[in-house]
Amino acid sequence: MYRLVPSRSVFFLALAVLPLLGQTPVGGPANGPFNNQDYQRPQVCMPCHQRQYDELRSSVKSGYRNVSPLFNGLEASANFLNGGLLRPVYATSTKTITLGNSSIIPFTTNMFTTPVFENINQIRAGFCLGCHNGPYLTQGEGGTTHEVPELVGTGTNFVPEIFRPLRDYHLVDSNGNQVLPATIGGDPPAGSGPSPGAAGITCDMCHNLQGPNLERSLLGDGFANNSNDFNHTIEKVGPFAQPVEVKDNFHVSSNDQAKISYLRSPAFCAACHDVRVPAAAPGDLQHLEYDVNSPNKSVTTFRLENLSSEFQLGAYSSTNNPFGKVIRCQDCHMSKFPYAGNSTYQVGDLSITSPTPAIFFQNYAAVPGVATNNNFPLQMRSVVNHHFTGVDVPLLYPSELQARLGADYPDPYVPGVDEYGIPLALAQRRQDLLDAAARISISNTDATAQLGQTFTVRAECVALTGHRFPAGFSQERTGYIQLTVTDDNGFLLYQSGYVVDKPHPETGQSQPNGDLDDEDLEHIHAVVDPGNHDRDPAKPYPAGMTSNAGHTNQVFEAGPDDGSDSRVFFGFNEGLVLFRNELTKIFLPGASIGRTDASGNPIVATRPHYEETFSAALANTVDNFRSLQPLVPRTFNYDITLPTKEELAEMGVESIKTPLHVHAQINYEHFPPLFVRFLTRTTGPTGPSGHDLGLLSEQRIEDLLKNLKSIASADTTVNVEE
Amino acid sequence: MTHRIFTIALFSLFAAGAWAQPNTTTSTYVPGVTYQQANPNYPIPNPFYFEGRIDWNLLKITQPGNTWEYMERGIHEQDDLDDPTDAIADYQQSISMNNLTNKTCQLVSVAPTGPMNPPPCIFTVRLRLAGLLSATKPQQAIELYQEVLTIDPLHLGVNAAIGGVYVTLAQNATDPTQVPGLYQSAIAAYQAELALSPVTPLETQLTTDTANNAHVHWALAQIYLAINDPSDEASELNLYLQATKWHSDTYPWRITLAKKRLATAQAAEEARRRAGDHH
Repeated sequence: MYRLVPSRSVFFLALAVLPLLGQTPVGGPANGPFNNQDYQRPQVCMPCHQRQYDELRSSVKSGYRNVSPLFNGLEASANFLNGGLLRPVYATSTKTITLGNSSIIPFTTNMFTTPVFENINQIRAGFCLGCHNGPYLTQGEGGTTHEVPELVGTGTNFVPEIFRPLRDYHLVDSNGNQVLPATIGGDPPAGSGPSPGAAGITCDMCHNLQGPNLERSLLGDGFANNSNDFNHTIEKVGPFAQPVEVKDNFHVSSNDQAKISYLRSPAFCAACHDVRVPAAAPGDLQHLEYDVNSPNKSVTTFRLENLSSEFQLGAYSSTNNPFGKVIRCQDCHMSKFPYAGNSTYQVGDLSITSPTPAIFFQNYAAVPGVATNNNFPLQMRSVVNHHFTGVDVPLLYPSELQARLGADYPDPYVPGVDEYGIPLALAQRRQDLLDAAARISISNTDATAQLGQTFTVRAECVALTGHRFPAGFSQERTGYIQLTVTDDNGFLLYQSGYVVDKPHPETGQSQPNGDLDDEDLEHIHAVVDPGNHDRDPAKPYPAGMTSNAGHTNQVFEAGPDDGSDSRVFFGFNEGLVLFRNELTKIFLPGASIGRTDASGNPIVATRPHYEETFSAALANTVDNFRSLQPLVPRTFNYDITLPTKEELAEMGVESIKTPLHVHAQINYEHFPPLFVRFLTRTTGPTGPSGHDLGLLSEQRIEDLLKNLKSIASADTTVNVEE
Repeated sequence: MTHRIFTIALFSLFAAGAWAQPNTTTSTYVPGVTYQQANPNYPIPNPFYFEGRIDWNLLKITQPGNTWEYMERGIHEQDDLDDPTDAIADYQQSISMNNLTNKTCQLVSVAPTGPMNPPPCIFTVRLRLAGLLSATKPQQAIELYQEVLTIDPLHLGVNAAIGGVYVTLAQNATDPTQVPGLYQSAIAAYQAELALSPVTPLETQLTTDTANNAHVHWALAQIYLAINDPSDEASELNLYLQATKWHSDTYPWRITLAKKRLATAQAAEEARRRAGDHH
């Protein structure tokens, strides 16, 4: 018997909501009147929310990220540098922290559970897991075992030889009991499956939200480092008011308008999509931020991921954009975008055609006939999708994904589309999203050029993203301009943003292999020190030093396409235009920079020396303004000199055939190969742990590192006058 | 409690669909709405904010107030407005406020432990100004580049930039007696650049590279060609070709030209050697 009005549900919901009227979503994990409920696997939600489950399962943030060899390698490399300090501590820990005033306090809370930070090691503890598995850092605080254990020895007591990558802990047997690979970093044991934590960002990670935690956020603003509070109950916050009663009261759909609004807002995303790295302050050599809640402002940080701050400062966070309304994170990453048609608009002197955001599907929020008591009818609603499409694609083979995440884990390259026509393949969605990210024009290039003289190509670029482009881990995520100038015969006169096939003996590739996706751009040549296993195990671990952990640049020199630093620091109009923010290590006077001079002596900084680093753990500052601002066009000039008539004659070229053809395109690089090779080596058998953690290899780089070419392009011609 | 009131207000705004524009002038901080400008917790940048370029519009100021802001406006004028004249003026103003002579900046020789007074000397503004002055006031440009080398002697590219200015001076010299000295200064600067990133046995082991800094070797070869020193020209061309073996060049035709010139230089050197033997 259907009822048009769920009178009983409304009544009980009203009863449930009444006590909440005085409750705000701020503060500790106040569970209110609801029963406790442990965080559930997404599979538990699947019967009633099949569509959302399927979509979420093929996103990188659910599942792949936590078993990602890159994520695991990055976390491991940082632990090698600081002596395991990124692993969580828990309430039962016997460790202590010495504060700046020499007082000693128990070290029993981590990034997710510390009420107010007093020491940067409290942010370090569980720093990666704090976002990727946040609530699991509290689950088990009652005395049960945590999925990722606390390291017995950290700092000088760290023992890299027994250090396991995080994903070793994300496996359970058929009874749900944790099992570990037989060898550190080894394959999943036969019969094992994913643990609850393997699923990364799950349904409960978002829908158990309580509100922003202003006390734990570093600037008291609810931004960064998972500054959310979560409840631990059956209350699930969805996007709709007046939800219907859930079948058998498996959970209660929240009717708390404050929580609902928060879930729907960009502010909710901001809690994790800014990342601030705890760092000791190197004096006054750059702007540092500090935790405003910490005693004496003693907890200092620098910004790593700055995506949500960028959004806040950008046009899409206001109505002053081509669409005349705020375009939220959800409007691009949880809508039909970029598959809902195009819009054309003007940005400066650029006429832009790009996909339209904020168009949603009509569907049921839950499976009719399954999700409600007595088959109570659901209404069609404007619903979001849960693909959360971003810029990453797995660096695991499909068989590896399925071995760690379940046999039904989708192939990132699977053909086909869903009921809305959206590609099932994560890789295709990534391509389509990035194709919508930026535009380029070179129409203002000089119309004429002369032999032996310089002419200027003007590349005007604009990001159409809500944040800067690239964003997120924007010091490794890379956009750049590939530019060529050829004459009418195809004679190549200038190139920038090019790559060259070459050997990589540091990771075992002795000859060029025809693959260009594994080649670095030519603005710098860098090789990062992977560290070594040459330490005396009887001596304390040199935590905080690079002697065994590496991280400094073994090779660092300007390449022929040097443009990123020469454009920023020198103001030169030449070389690579690189939309990649830059991690920087400021070596203080007296510090060795990790290389030797021609005589083999260590090069030691006598003055503060700024150098790009590819390690967020080694960096002590960052330049986050090299990426492209959203909706603010910027022009990059290339002053290009043509060969003289005499030089052409020397080469046996009679002349240049006019016109010149200028082609510019924006490419997107998965990760800088040199960064991945650093992680390959530091987690390999000669790295600090002394054995292969089973994460990365040259073969994996060649097979799975996937760059995207020409997400935007432009062409023009230039006449040559002799 | 204050936070809670603000949060409730924020949620009410969201619920009503009444999105507020960011960057409002209100002094009330509402998380997620009036971020940064109105957040009383947001730290005030120190005078030495960071080396590099910010998007000028993000500063939301019309009049610079300190050395860093003058530098940033200068960068905006140079990069975005194509206005080198105003950029030079702002860079000069910035340096006047961050200057060893009037003790408004300092060279840092020991690791600092906290805020410094005066603040450190900035290198970006000096590099930028030097670049703009290199054609019209080359000596001043060289002095600025050399100041940067006192700020950070390991900074890549500065010596090469000095070398480039000396080459321009030599090419434009009206007094031919000055030319050899100017070229020698250029050679010394380029050699100093190479010394900062030598090709070590470890580098060769890791990369197979046997030379680097292709553009520096090309510039040196050009100098030796100009002063008719085929032996050193051949040596530099050879290093240039080694350096471009796995890295090519932005001007790839130079590789072809280098091979031709190397053959010519080697022939000239061989002829010279034979002539010497004959005599």
